[in-house]
Amino acid sequence: MVSPISAAGAYAKLARLADPGASMGAMGKVGAGGGDSAGPSFGAMVKNAIGSVVDAGHKSDAQSNAMAAGKANIVDVATAVTETEVAIEAMVSVRDKVIAAYEEIMRMPI
Amino acid sequence: MDFLKSMAIAASGLRAQTGRMQVIAENVANADSTAQRPGGDPYRRKIPTFMSEVDRAIGATTVGLGKVRQDPTDFRTKYEPGHPAADQNGYVKYPNVNSVIELNDMREAQRSYEANLNVIGATRRMIQRTIDLLRA
Repeated sequence: MVSPISAAGAYAKLARLADPGASMGAMGKVGAGGGDSAGPSFGAMVKNAIGSVVDAGHKSDAQSNAMAAGKANIVDVATAVTETEVAIEAMVSVRDKVIAAYEEIMRMPI
Repeated sequence: MDFLKSMAIAASGLRAQTGRMQVIAENVANADSTAQRPGGDPYRRKIPTFMSEVDRAIGATTVGLGKVRQDPTDFRTKYEPGHPAADQNGYVKYPNVNSVIELNDMREAQRSYEANLNVIGATRRMIQRTIDLLRA
């Protein structure tokens, strides 16, 4: 399984590779590992996806808390948690796929 | 996402059936509630109504509980001269609640709830299978 650290590294590197403007400068420092140059296309896409998942998580958290306090409807809690679950699962699948592709490229003999 | 929309619609069905269940519970619980003064009217059976609502946030037609109406049929009467709510002839008015009808309504609410749950379950399985495409 992929660890969060390798995932973050892969995101940063892919973001730099996918950024057409910074690609020339980024080529030299792909191994540096930091996330200084934020890629507008792929990085923004990942950020958006994670942001929406985090939003869904907050919503289901709020519903669960409200139910624990006796204020929420069980139907709202169940639907919010299900939506979060689906969103996280979709994001994790995409992440695994992206990292698998990245690792595939890294294994390419040059 | 359209899948989430259909889940929200089914959830509105669940909420509507929950409200209906509440009305049925009131009817069953108050099946013997008489008036507190002689000759007064007892509890009157309530009837839940459903209506379709356009949810602009998700852009779909959901269902909601409409006004809860009162059943205008006659009350049951029983001859109980010693009862505190008996009129001068000794008759007590009991609510127009028929437990067999309530039982059937309850069964119907239960089945409708299960149908909506099945819609949510099927939607979820469809999403799951679609996500599984990414994992192959």
